[in-house]
Amino acid sequence: MTLPQCDFPADRSIVFQMPSRLELLVVVDQLVQAICHDMDFDRDDTDAIANSVIEAATNAVQHAHGHDVMRPVVFRFCLGDDELQIEVTDTGPGFDLEEVSALDPTGPEGILKSRGRGIFIMKAMMDRVDFDIQMGKGTRVCMAKSRRSAEAGDGS
Amino acid sequence: MKIKQEAIGDVYVVRLSGQLMGGPDADSVRETILSILNQGYKKILIDLKDVSWVNSTGLGILMSAHITATQNGGIVKLMRISRRIDSIFMVTRLNTVFQVFDKEEDAIASFEGDVTGQKN
Repeated sequence: MTLPQCDFPADRSIVFQMPSRLELLVVVDQLVQAICHDMDFDRDDTDAIANSVIEAATNAVQHAHGHDVMRPVVFRFCLGDDELQIEVTDTGPGFDLEEVSALDPTGPEGILKSRGRGIFIMKAMMDRVDFDIQMGKGTRVCMAKSRRSAEAGDGS
Repeated sequence: MKIKQEAIGDVYVVRLSGQLMGGPDADSVRETILSILNQGYKKILIDLKDVSWVNSTGLGILMSAHITATQNGGIVKLMRISRRIDSIFMVTRLNTVFQVFDKEEDAIASFEGDVTGQKN
């Protein structure tokens, strides 16, 4: 599967690959925390980014790969001056984004369900979330978040 | 994830530690809640002080615990959630489903008025 990559040069990218094992999400979380610390994200944004990456990875491990440890999940972090871009790529069958997004998990019907919150959390916590879904081949989730200080123009 | 349990009066406290993220965690929490209900306890307090983060599957586990308890005449409340977990609760509005307390004594005292939470 060939998927488009984000625009940052190789010297600003971190690539990480893991088997589809839920317990390794702890490692992913620690990596995200380290990257956000390096980029001076504040605590709330660091939590938001970490939560979102965990959600994308959870979907890849559980739904795309069915916990098949021989199918890796690939993470690519692109460290911009003021923005962190993240790609999470799986080789699963893909899914109907419109169908998955149809039920509001905060509404009266959705809130009592035990599933259906992952994509909602990502969209709520990141500045941008895009899905490149190639049915039968794989899914690439691309997310981005800017530092608050950058959004405010660094005080200028 | 690890689970410790203790009865404090007629309130059963379930202390979780680690990360709540699905897989075997779902079965462990569900079995724990059912076991508590089968013992006749209806007031269940889940302590998340030592849970560093929860993903959407973990939220589903908590929601299943809530539904299981409610269907059996019980009630589940939460205490000592981190700022990070609270942010997910706010976004998903699970803060409107669960009563969440900062202090254990306040959480336990809150059960006193819950008729549905009386131990058999």
